[in-house]
Amino acid sequence: MDVGLSDADLAPRIADGDREAEAEMCRRMGPRIRLYGLRHLRSPSAADDLVQLVLVKVLEALRTARLRESDKLVQFVLGTCRLTVLDLRRSARRQEELLAAFGRDLVPESPPLPQLDDRQLARCVQALTERERSVVVMTFYDDQMGAETARCLGISEANVRVIRHRALRQLRVCMGARP
Amino acid sequence: MTSSYDRGHADCSDPIEAVVLMDYWLAALPSTVEERVEQHLMTCDDCGDRLREVMALAEGLRALARSGALQVIISDYFVERAVETGLQVREYAPPPGGAIQCTVAADDDLLVSRLALNLTTASRVDLSWCDRQGVEHQRMADIPIRADAGSVICQQSITWAKASPSSTMVARLLSVDEKGDERLLGEYTFHHTRTIPGPPGFEMP
Repeated sequence: MDVGLSDADLAPRIADGDREAEAEMCRRMGPRIRLYGLRHLRSPSAADDLVQLVLVKVLEALRTARLRESDKLVQFVLGTCRLTVLDLRRSARRQEELLAAFGRDLVPESPPLPQLDDRQLARCVQALTERERSVVVMTFYDDQMGAETARCLGISEANVRVIRHRALRQLRVCMGARP
Repeated sequence: MTSSYDRGHADCSDPIEAVVLMDYWLAALPSTVEERVEQHLMTCDDCGDRLREVMALAEGLRALARSGALQVIISDYFVERAVETGLQVREYAPPPGGAIQCTVAADDDLLVSRLALNLTTASRVDLSWCDRQGVEHQRMADIPIRADAGSVICQQSITWAKASPSSTMVARLLSVDEKGDERLLGEYTFHHTRTIPGPPGFEMP
């Protein structure tokens, strides 16, 4: 396969029965779909399931040339992600049926999360200002605490966001992350 | 098969800032911005890698926040949530000017000091930790306060407390004005008795 093929270039090739193009589409889209799944489903296994389900639906559509504008492939994948997440939330049973039908062959390897130095992270958090540390701890302890953090500190949610952003920038620098 | 999209080789010309990716991960973005972020992530593996870094940081921070190892000012709600989620919370609430005997057990998860005080007149408040001679060992400057809260809740590091030898600590809440002049708002004495056997621990953090 040519070097430099865009995502959109893959769609017509898949419609023409090019199995390498299918594999390449899965290799590219799988990790992206998995990130979407992690964000919306909050579970690595559910995110893996989402990858399978979305890739199956996208491949079916591409093989039968149902995607008429190939440059809309990304939007089609994203839309399929959204609908599938809604479906997953509605029907766990349907998910199991689809998974039983298609197996686990369509889950490409996803990069693991980077490893963090926990002790360094603790040192970095302890080096924040008191206000920043309180916001960070209360924010990350519990996903539901955004508005509550603002109320407890007697500041606005916008202020909490500013403090959180400042703290996260400092933490990333302290942890040696890319700018 | 080779590809120009091999992992780690596609630099993004318009990268999403890490704090925006963190807000995305925390579900704190407006829906229109979230949509744009998701469109971008579906085409950009470089930003996908950055999101993975952000997710790892978020998970690390979550674990740290739940470990009880940090010294930090927290809220009533935080303590309530900790109890609801099954954490063993040990809380001490000495009266202003008073003293209290305290310890920490091996199965405690969080150690909390509740310092009652009228905060309505203070703007900046520092929390100073001293020994019984009054020598300051640590200062938490400009702590977050809410005027109507009626107390300051400080989580002590449970890791430190479990290894700490028997000792006396004095917490002082100080109002600090614009010139840097201090006024004592309240003083609270903790007589800590070590009950967990082990090697000698460290002194005050």
